[in-house]
Amino acid sequence: MSHRRGLERDGAAPYIFLAPLLALLAAFMIYPVVMNVITSFTEWKGYGPWKWIGLANYRTMIADGQFWTSIKNTALMVLYIPLSTIVTILIAAFLREGIGGWKAYRAILYIPNLLGYVLMGVIFSIYLRDEGALNMLIRYFTGSTVRFLITPIIAINTVGFLLVVFLHLGFGLIYFLAAMNGIDSSIYEAALIDGAGFWRTMFKVTIPSVRFALEFWVVFNFIEVFARMFSFIHTLTQGGPGYSTFTLEYGIFITGFSKFKVGYSSAWSVVLFFFCALISIAQIRLMKRRDA
Amino acid sequence: MRKASSFGPGTRIAVQAFMLLLVVASVLPLYNVVSASLKPINEYTINPLLLPQAPTLENYKYAAISGHLLRFTANSLTFVPIGVATYVVICVMAGYAFGKMRFAFRRPIFLLVLFMSIFPQLLLATQVSKLISLIHLTNTGLGVILAWISYFAPFGTYIMTTYFTDMPYELVEAARIDGASQYRILWSVMAPMAMPMVATLSIIGFQSMWNELPFSMLILQQESLRTVTVGIAVLRGQYGLRVPILSAALVIAMSVPLLVFLLFQRRITLGVTAGAIKG
Repeated sequence: MSHRRGLERDGAAPYIFLAPLLALLAAFMIYPVVMNVITSFTEWKGYGPWKWIGLANYRTMIADGQFWTSIKNTALMVLYIPLSTIVTILIAAFLREGIGGWKAYRAILYIPNLLGYVLMGVIFSIYLRDEGALNMLIRYFTGSTVRFLITPIIAINTVGFLLVVFLHLGFGLIYFLAAMNGIDSSIYEAALIDGAGFWRTMFKVTIPSVRFALEFWVVFNFIEVFARMFSFIHTLTQGGPGYSTFTLEYGIFITGFSKFKVGYSSAWSVVLFFFCALISIAQIRLMKRRDA
Repeated sequence: MRKASSFGPGTRIAVQAFMLLLVVASVLPLYNVVSASLKPINEYTINPLLLPQAPTLENYKYAAISGHLLRFTANSLTFVPIGVATYVVICVMAGYAFGKMRFAFRRPIFLLVLFMSIFPQLLLATQVSKLISLIHLTNTGLGVILAWISYFAPFGTYIMTTYFTDMPYELVEAARIDGASQYRILWSVMAPMAMPMVATLSIIGFQSMWNELPFSMLILQQESLRTVTVGIAVLRGQYGLRVPILSAALVIAMSVPLLVFLLFQRRITLGVTAGAIKG
């Protein structure tokens, strides 16, 4: 976006190049969002007649315990972002030191990202059940069972850890290693000659040098937590047990598609839209700084 | 490659041990699924963890035929490539327009596209599936492909835009002096030069569409049309389905993404950083 030479324009061609994209976005993004806002002021089952009810859905929402549970659960996921960031950048820094087999590690840890949330959700739903393989191991060593997907407080933290920390690790390693690769190696050599150890080098050289990548990573994680969790939760816990792993996004699905309260679920969507707008503003500000 | 390292030999061993442990922990769930898929149900019940005593392929037969996994894989292998090809063309055109052309409202339109790249699918799902049914495309490949392209194109466009922006403007000017039209410049000069990024974009599109759940779930309601991803999600919800059969279905579903990974590992590595790291 940097070539602004003169004021001459390229005529109709750019609009023709953009036409397919903009037509699709108008139909499948803008129209749905606008309709969604309108629907949030109505009572509608998703089919048949609808009734204008003003702000009633929003009033119901504010009084709805499930809505607040979903906000609380989403906030809990956000709390895993710092952990994810620290773990990922630390392991990337380990691998950068030229640990033998680092390429193999990087590739193997990427596999979960490759398989995607649906497959990983189902895989963990098998692995983590009470009678599953992991509990077999845990019982062998401790004699007790950890009810990963049954005890509410463990279930939500399992989802948070797996989704935010574990499932992003492979992606993050490739990402941070690429960013660290851009650092001039003579800086590291100089740090070494100065007698700086791993931690000092990490805080004085690595982290400042990959600051932009780090900020992008945090924004990316916010996007994942607010806007990309549905598939994993749907296949791992389906929001349960009870409503313990119910997030804002998952709540929209349940109220809209299982309970057929589309008008009401649209009000939840508007809240989600608001959060995404905030994230997007952060993202755009970051990019402006990057381009500057 | 040999790098300046601040690790002494002791630290090196400790880190190596930690990494090995991490890899084992993250491979264990996958190993578990593969080993479960080879066990008869009564063996899995008493021995979910260890290697199968009497490996059987019965679960695969059941998952592939009765569980329709072969059918679902064929569906994905039809819809996804068509979707990716169209997506790439649309993103290249739009990325070139944003990256190298001058026109009114370029920046606001670009920011809007960027904003849309982070929309949650659940925000759109109800209305998108309504719209698809309104134009009579429910239970059609075309319907799901349209929904996929629209949803994933903003990010793809962003990636292509950053790539085209970083290409030297002199290329466009030289072609223009030679009298080439805008269309010729894009298709004969710029697009061929952008091929490395186009390959990366294709991988990104493939992964996004292959793993997509909510739209395909709502648009492809007929069982015979399901994609692998929808098929797996539905099997998971099927009450009383035996773990070894579900595991076999998972292994079948894993095969295509793993194959793509083995073939295009370098591209995938590049795809992760596309658009996000300067340079």
